[in-house]
Amino acid sequence: MNSLKVARMALRAAARPQPALRRGYADVAPDKLRLSLALPHQTIYKSQDVVQVNIAAESGEMGILAQHVPSIEQLKPGLVEVIEEAGGNKQFFLSGGFATVQPGSVLSINAVEGYPLEDFSAENVRNQISEAQKIAGGSGSEQDKAEANIELEVLESLQAALK
Amino acid sequence: MAFAWKAAGITYNRYLAVAARVVRRSLKDDKRLQAERRGEMDLRFAKWEGGKQGENKSLADANQADMAAHAGQSQ
Repeated sequence: MNSLKVARMALRAAARPQPALRRGYADVAPDKLRLSLALPHQTIYKSQDVVQVNIAAESGEMGILAQHVPSIEQLKPGLVEVIEEAGGNKQFFLSGGFATVQPGSVLSINAVEGYPLEDFSAENVRNQISEAQKIAGGSGSEQDKAEANIELEVLESLQAALK
Repeated sequence: MAFAWKAAGITYNRYLAVAARVVRRSLKDDKRLQAERRGEMDLRFAKWEGGKQGENKSLADANQADMAAHAGQSQ
């Protein structure tokens, strides 16, 4: 009966599904970064091998390559640049979020809103800046002024990126 | 790291929402209409006590009232 128990345990172990995060034989190539860039409503990159990602973190601008030390960075509203394997360079303006570098060259960026620069309208940005400046310098509540300041911070970053 | 919005009582959640709203409004008009719909939230909640449902409140209003009350207390 012992052999039956061993066989049953072996079958159970073999049938246990591998958790999706544990990589098996197909590991990330040692010189590539595996990037996942996701918004709540859209996935821009899903575990794609890239060469380098430049992010705007609160602690400063960072370039992340393969074998980067694991870290968690809060993002400023700003530009994220992805340098892909095929040599293409893509830029996205993200409204804010977090970038997590995990051991084994895995980078996950989560943001609330993100668009390529072509999707923005410089005129809409200008109009919003003047509106936000009015509110920030006005006589509204502290909440409104603080929100207007947040908007100004984002808009100035966006305006600089659009130039 | 001291953030100006935190000192004014804005929560990180609200900060993200404000930044996202601004980005959506800065888009070119065709993409903007689709994106603006994502920003709409009309969530209501009610506290239950002793099996009785309390009054139905809007989450946005309740959050704003809470933030105004706590402004300057954080830090």
